Amino acid sequence: MTSRSTKTFVPVALLAAAIAATAASPQQISKAVKVVQLTGLPGMKENAKGILSVENGNLHFVHAKAISDVSAGLIQDVVTGSDSQEAVGKTVGIISMAAPYGGGRFLSLFRNKIDTLTVEYRDADGAFHGAIFTMPVGTAEEIKKELIAQGAHTLSSTSADKEQKQ
Amino acid sequence: MKHLPKVGALLCMSVVFSSGLALCGGKNQPTKIKAGAIQVAMIQSDETPVPAEFRVALYENLIRQLEKRGFQQVYRDGDRNAASVADLVVLHSTVRGFKPGSEKARRVTTVAGATSISVHCQFTNVEGQPLLERDVTGKVRFFGGNLRATYDFAKKASGIAYENFSPTDSK
Repeated sequence: MTSRSTKTFVPVALLAAAIAATAASPQQISKAVKVVQLTGLPGMKENAKGILSVENGNLHFVHAKAISDVSAGLIQDVVTGSDSQEAVGKTVGIISMAAPYGGGRFLSLFRNKIDTLTVEYRDADGAFHGAIFTMPVGTAEEIKKELIAQGAHTLSSTSADKEQKQ
Repeated sequence: MKHLPKVGALLCMSVVFSSGLALCGGKNQPTKIKAGAIQVAMIQSDETPVPAEFRVALYENLIRQLEKRGFQQVYRDGDRNAASVADLVVLHSTVRGFKPGSEKARRVTTVAGATSISVHCQFTNVEGQPLLERDVTGKVRFFGGNLRATYDFAKKASGIAYENFSPTDSK
């Protein structure tokens, strides 16, 4: 009886401890988002595809083996916007231009909405930097909120703030 | 001895002709201003509202293009390291006009939807005295996203810098 109760108690206790440790952990990690870094991050190529997240007070971008971190405290402004891109890929888009009867133009009508995230910050020397990301629609505002929660400044209000004012 | 006047006249003509050529050549190559380094100031868009991504793309592309043109020391706005550089040239850019355009309209119609951005560029010394002023327009007419207009502007502006300023090593 004792051994059976011990067998059930140990995993439950371990699970509870794990949950408690996760909740008490100082690490704050937001949902990672697949993005395209258009320009601005030091050491990153233009149009680099990667994963963007907000971790431990940093805007964290990973592209292949390269990693770039920007401290949220250094961020002066975060601006979200919207744009659109062709539903078909770049290569298909270029090839389709040769399609007869304006087939390529017809394909150009199909576009996906995307979000843009612009981050302005100053490095340790006081030098101004700006980085631009594009990401799936609806995700930029989440990243912005997370950045503000972790110490980033912004000159424009988030959409939630706008709704509250209304 | 008979041919001496003819030879003299020919010599005179050749001297006049070559000096004329040298003068014309000199007009095409203006003297460049010495620039120990270039500092790019933040893009101002108080008069003409421009989306943040355009403002940032103008600034970042300008820095990249200046570096590509051979300016080894290109400082960003607010960089404290620029304070000790001799012959520092500061590039101030102010957006004067902006037409957003539409990539979709460009792809579908070819003739409509051009994006253009007009920027007034002023090169000054550290004291703020103007050295050169130009209006530069970045455009995207056929291919590419709207932000490509900022790349076009940066290429033109860096070309002006390259034509008028000679990078010198101040290290």
